Amino acid sequence: MTAFLEFDHLRVDVPTPMGPRPVLRSVNLAIAAGEAVGLVGESGSGKSLTARSVLGLLPGGATIAGAVRFRGTDIGTLDAAGLRRLRSREVAMVFQDPRATVNPVRTIGDFLTEVLRERGMSRSAALALAGGILADIGVDDVPRRLKQRPYELSGGLLQRVVIAAALAGEPALILADEPTTALDVTTQEEVVAILDEQRRQRGTALLFISHDLELATAVCDRIAVMYAGEIVEILPAKSLHEEARHPYTKALLRARPGSVPPGERLQIVPGTPQSGIEAPPGCVFADRCPVVEADCRTTVPLLVGGVACHLEVP
Amino acid sequence: MILEVTDLRKVFRGDFVAVDGVSFAVPVGGSLAIVGESGSGKTTCARLVAGLERATSGTIRLGDDGTPRARVVQMVFQDPYQSLDRRQTVAACLDEVLAFHTGLDRAERRRRIGELLELVGLDQRHAGVLPRQLSGGQRQRVAIARALAPSPRLLILDEAVAALDVSIQAQILNLLVDARAATGVGYLFVTHDLSVVRHVCDDVVVMRRGRIVESGSVEQVLGAPSADYTKKLVGSIPRPGWVPVRGGTRG
Repeated sequence: MTAFLEFDHLRVDVPTPMGPRPVLRSVNLAIAAGEAVGLVGESGSGKSLTARSVLGLLPGGATIAGAVRFRGTDIGTLDAAGLRRLRSREVAMVFQDPRATVNPVRTIGDFLTEVLRERGMSRSAALALAGGILADIGVDDVPRRLKQRPYELSGGLLQRVVIAAALAGEPALILADEPTTALDVTTQEEVVAILDEQRRQRGTALLFISHDLELATAVCDRIAVMYAGEIVEILPAKSLHEEARHPYTKALLRARPGSVPPGERLQIVPGTPQSGIEAPPGCVFADRCPVVEADCRTTVPLLVGGVACHLEVP
Repeated sequence: MILEVTDLRKVFRGDFVAVDGVSFAVPVGGSLAIVGESGSGKTTCARLVAGLERATSGTIRLGDDGTPRARVVQMVFQDPYQSLDRRQTVAACLDEVLAFHTGLDRAERRRRIGELLELVGLDQRHAGVLPRQLSGGQRQRVAIARALAPSPRLLILDEAVAALDVSIQAQILNLLVDARAATGVGYLFVTHDLSVVRHVCDDVVVMRRGRIVESGSVEQVLGAPSADYTKKLVGSIPRPGWVPVRGGTRG
């Protein structure tokens, strides 16, 4: 059976002054149709790049090994028309900053109907559809909103417009890259609730990128934890707290200020987050791991049974 | 009290009221959080206390009258990439502050720089480097060391841990708890992150649209909030078992 979306030993190298270096080392992940997977990790871990690789949006000069397959088709083999079709019909992306996403000089209505019009829908039908989605996700005064421009809307409202645009194309997969990081916490709740509700109603798969483990856990079925260009652990969102086995996942869970009683010391990981470029050759987390052993520095652990750690061999 | 703010009001450009009749106080060595969402006026409050803005009306009493403001209050900003001079080494950055605000001679300043670096978890190897050679977390440590250099009695931290990765944020939060214990410095912590407040603050003021909606001890306000807005704020923090819900239509 072919997976809906599959990252198969995906490796991405980017040019550096020292020659090509990997930012993604070996990403393995399969997402089922309609499934929501959270990709969490710190800066430089490669989570955004992983999502972007689905649309072929990689940095200039990057070289790819392995494959990303969407419904069995290797994205790397698509021609320009195929990529265009993928980006406009099958996969939608929601970025962190809605102000950088929406064309500032066009109206909200233009933005929402662009893809629909491109498919040949009439202007009035497209506007009616877009307006319906806006109403569905709790935007009031829809006719006026459709005529407004981005600067007239708050960040939270604009991000809802971006989500509406993503839904309007009826994609099979939404890639959401820190969609609420720029928003206030009460607005964040509203926006993730809408995303979660609409995705479930429409059976859309979701790859949800976040640095916030609790947030990702609330809207996803499974959580994949990334560090330095590799997925180090994949586990069901429900059992994240009880069943986390990788030392990095445990460290992330314990680093949040809410994880200990007030005033108690937070357990910290020494050092700073590394990217795939800087990480050691064996286990990517070896430099910072509290339980590192000699083997970890020389041999790359494989992702077996949901965890990539030498100390967790069944 | 090291800081007493009474009936503070700030009006920008004639008509926009950013801060509207706000009063709060920080005891000596205390730790007060101002929380709120964007546009609540929390940062304006911090900037008024630091002297970066002038209040339209109201009073700000800082420590003993007569002590220069910079020796009473210092500020740490969100982004250490912007708040440090990129052409100045760490030691030169600290030395400049010490030479300007203290009467220490060169040898004493060198000893003090060593102390400050140690306090924030850096060492002599870091003294000679430029900001670009440091990580984000290390830069924020330097910014904190610089703020602590004149031995202020109050540190204003404006979203000082918001831009840091979780594991680095944990290091800096531990550092702030340690520095307060070691030096007796008080904190005015401006943040939107309530779990950070629970961790490092004694008291909290909740602001919305320029006004205080609720204030009191952290335990009381965040544990058993009475204002509707505080309840909503506390309820919207992602936590184990949390289910996001739509709160109806909001513009």
